[in-house]
Amino acid sequence: MSTAALSVKDLSVWIETTAGRRRVVDNISFSIKAGEATGLVGESGCGKTMTAFAILGMLPAAGATIETTSIEINGRDISRLSTAQMRSVLGRDVAMVFQQPGTALDPVFTIGQQIIEVHRRHAGGGKNNNRQAMLDSLTQVGFDQPGKIAAAYPHELSGGMRQLAMIAMATVCNPAVLIADEPTTALDSRTRALILQQIKRLQADNGTAILLVSHDLSVIRQSCQNVMVMYCGRLLEKTDCQSLFAHARHPYSAGLISCIPQISAKMGSGIKAIPGQVPAPSALPPGCHFAPRCGRAVPQCESSVPALEPGTEQGVACFRPL
Amino acid sequence: MMGSTWHRLKADRFGVTGLVIVACFAIVALSVWAGLLGQGWTEVSGERWESFSASHWFGTNLLGQDILQRTLFGAATAFEVGLIVTLFSIVLGTVLGALAGWYSNTWLDEVILWLKGVLDSIPFYLFAAAIAFALQGNRWAMHLAMIITFWTTTARIVRGEVIRIKQREFVEAARAIGLPGITVLFRHVLPNTVHILLVQSTIVFVAAIKTEVILSFLGLGIQDGVSWGLMLAESSQEVLAGHFGNFIAASLALFIMLMGFNLLADAMQDALDTRRIIT
Repeated sequence: MSTAALSVKDLSVWIETTAGRRRVVDNISFSIKAGEATGLVGESGCGKTMTAFAILGMLPAAGATIETTSIEINGRDISRLSTAQMRSVLGRDVAMVFQQPGTALDPVFTIGQQIIEVHRRHAGGGKNNNRQAMLDSLTQVGFDQPGKIAAAYPHELSGGMRQLAMIAMATVCNPAVLIADEPTTALDSRTRALILQQIKRLQADNGTAILLVSHDLSVIRQSCQNVMVMYCGRLLEKTDCQSLFAHARHPYSAGLISCIPQISAKMGSGIKAIPGQVPAPSALPPGCHFAPRCGRAVPQCESSVPALEPGTEQGVACFRPL
Repeated sequence: MMGSTWHRLKADRFGVTGLVIVACFAIVALSVWAGLLGQGWTEVSGERWESFSASHWFGTNLLGQDILQRTLFGAATAFEVGLIVTLFSIVLGTVLGALAGWYSNTWLDEVILWLKGVLDSIPFYLFAAAIAFALQGNRWAMHLAMIITFWTTTARIVRGEVIRIKQREFVEAARAIGLPGITVLFRHVLPNTVHILLVQSTIVFVAAIKTEVILSFLGLGIQDGVSWGLMLAESSQEVLAGHFGNFIAASLALFIMLMGFNLLADAMQDALDTRRIIT
């Protein structure tokens, strides 16, 4: 078996609050092979974005700490690197695409200037070399006139074009791992298809390993081989996409799937929402975090924590899986 | 983006008026520095307190010096004070404000805010007098007093703006491509405050000229030269005696120039407001 492009072992994120220390990402492990995409799905506030930023070593909030055994990119542990060493990894080995392409680009520089900045920093080379890499990168994401896009300021482009430019910026140095945090959430369905097409192209042509963070299962179904379901900072189920949709084993995964609106469904049949609310991080139940909302819960679920079998590619953290 | 800013400024009639006025005064100042205008400001060219005439447009002063020459020279003095004070206080305020904002709620922020608080709490004219006394009548004492006290406003504005901007996603994105924090601050955060700095510069420029006039009037200002403030100080003795030359020339020049700058600052504020085009 080849080594995974991205391999995360025992990652936890703690946040310091006035009420005490809280674990917002709870001991998760996963790996992504080169050329594959893994979706990370879950409701808002379950720790998806925290996980993404923790991998990059970027703490979004003050007082957050990361604990991990290792975070490896192509076999190299990046979790123990100094800030200076980490800077040479960010943008070159691992890059990020953000949710809001409108605000993730600097309004006072052109698209071209911003892409060149990444390439100059990590790949170096002459002025022409940098510019050519920038134009190539824009061409690859599907722009017919890269020169025109390069000269534009972010506010002159539409949301979808900005997101494509953002992908061009993230991939100009051809990183081994790309983390996309809700890359399609703010976009219409046609543009979403364009972005997902790019994510597939990166897997196939560049062998990029992609971690796609989304709350939208249909996005993950269209572009990922594997999927991880996250709830309150824990991974509940890890499997490949096909099996998840054919036969979700965790009751929460099944609940998420039944929440997808079906265009073929009868009018007025309603959407099957999961009952209850995501518990506040301050009031997490002691056992399985999903137990209070779960129709299949037994007393054991409320007292002890079901674990994902460690070291396996697939698994479910449930005492009574479907 | 600078192109569209220029277009918006050009469309604003008051803005253009302000720009023309400021440009006229700037040309006068440059001509004085180049030795083309106002060189006869020390020369005794007539009788004492001559009235307005073709040879002395604004008459002469107590010593028989031509008031027009002295007014023109005063424009250069005003620009010298304005430019020096604006340049140094804006740079100082921007750097300290940016550092305080970027490292907000750390010891550095505390120190800068404390410094700003201390300086803001000293009565300005007392402070100017103290510095003038401490420097034994050095000709830069007035400039120094203004620079030391004027940066605080700029720093406060820049600090707030940096705190606002650093929460934006593009700052996170800049870190995610591996830029060190200080590079992100100076390359990506500060350029987004340029519109504020330009407007703030014109405001500081006006404040510096106004303050120079007051300090010179009090005898704490210009030491070797002539300024509109010194002319107004002279006129305080003359107006009662019915000689209005100094008073009219200096206050007219001051009024027109300050109005020009205020019109320009106002128009620039509208033209440069990037929030209109950035979502």
